[in-house]
Amino acid sequence: MRSIYGIGYPASVDLDLAALREMHPQLPFDITLVMVGRAALALERNAHKPGVNLSLELERALSGVSLLWQAADLGHIEQHDHNRITEDGAEAVALALAYRYRSWRTIRRLQRGDCADWLLADVRDGVEQKVALEISGVNRGGIAARLAQKVAQVGRNADADQRWACVVGFEEPIAALRFIEEVA
Amino acid sequence: MDTDTLNTLVTGAIWRAEELESRRISSAAAWAEVSSLEEELATAHPVSAGQGRIARRGAVRAALKSGDYKRAYSLADRYLGEDGAPESLKTGLREILEEYTQPIAGRFPYASTHHTLREAQGLADHLRAVGAFGLAA
Repeated sequence: MRSIYGIGYPASVDLDLAALREMHPQLPFDITLVMVGRAALALERNAHKPGVNLSLELERALSGVSLLWQAADLGHIEQHDHNRITEDGAEAVALALAYRYRSWRTIRRLQRGDCADWLLADVRDGVEQKVALEISGVNRGGIAARLAQKVAQVGRNADADQRWACVVGFEEPIAALRFIEEVA
Repeated sequence: MDTDTLNTLVTGAIWRAEELESRRISSAAAWAEVSSLEEELATAHPVSAGQGRIARRGAVRAALKSGDYKRAYSLADRYLGEDGAPESLKTGLREILEEYTQPIAGRFPYASTHHTLREAQGLADHLRAVGAFGLAA
């Protein structure tokens, strides 16, 4: 049982990062492996083990998921840039959540300057909407301040039908996925 | 090549270029690859579509990151002159050019009061083509 704002929420579903490429078939195979590997490193350097509960705030509704991954070898962590472990790890978790909870699939990565990291497809009733998703990771500490920054950032994206921000915190595994109502 | 494949390729190319940047390894060649893929995506998507605008800005931005200013200006000219190009895209392209040329102008304050980066690039291209004193012409 984990807690958000002091309220405990049990993990009711499993989220296996090893299935990330099945969730997002357009992700390049090699990059998916690195992203998932870095997610494992980001979690394990914070002393978490597969099966840890991830507290999730999805549009202010609170829940929890049991996060699964293949164990990483922390002996190789120096091969990776410290910040890229956090950011790529957050992207792996966020994209898995986006598929699990919203059925979105990635279309492509965006360059810095496009006010989002990923463009995804949200297909409902045969109609496809484009989703701009800005993702960030926090290795230590809370995610509220970062989420506010990312909401403001993706709010400036004018290329998608929907704008969302997701922040993943690794110290006490937590993630928030937030919809942005209007273009800033 | 279909757009799904191009999207997968550009995703990988951007990721690799950012990875090199994060390690402070030269990423110019990687950004040149990104620019080329974005240009193909820009051909596949109309300027009226979000993905079309993303690709057009991406082609110009990546060309600048690769250090190929001539290509960046050439692409920007093409996209700025397209029928139906929305004002938001035109503004975005100008801001990208400004963002990347401003630091260079800042390093050469005297020269930048007399010439734009584009003029300097044109002069460099001319000298490269004809050689010093026109000896290679």
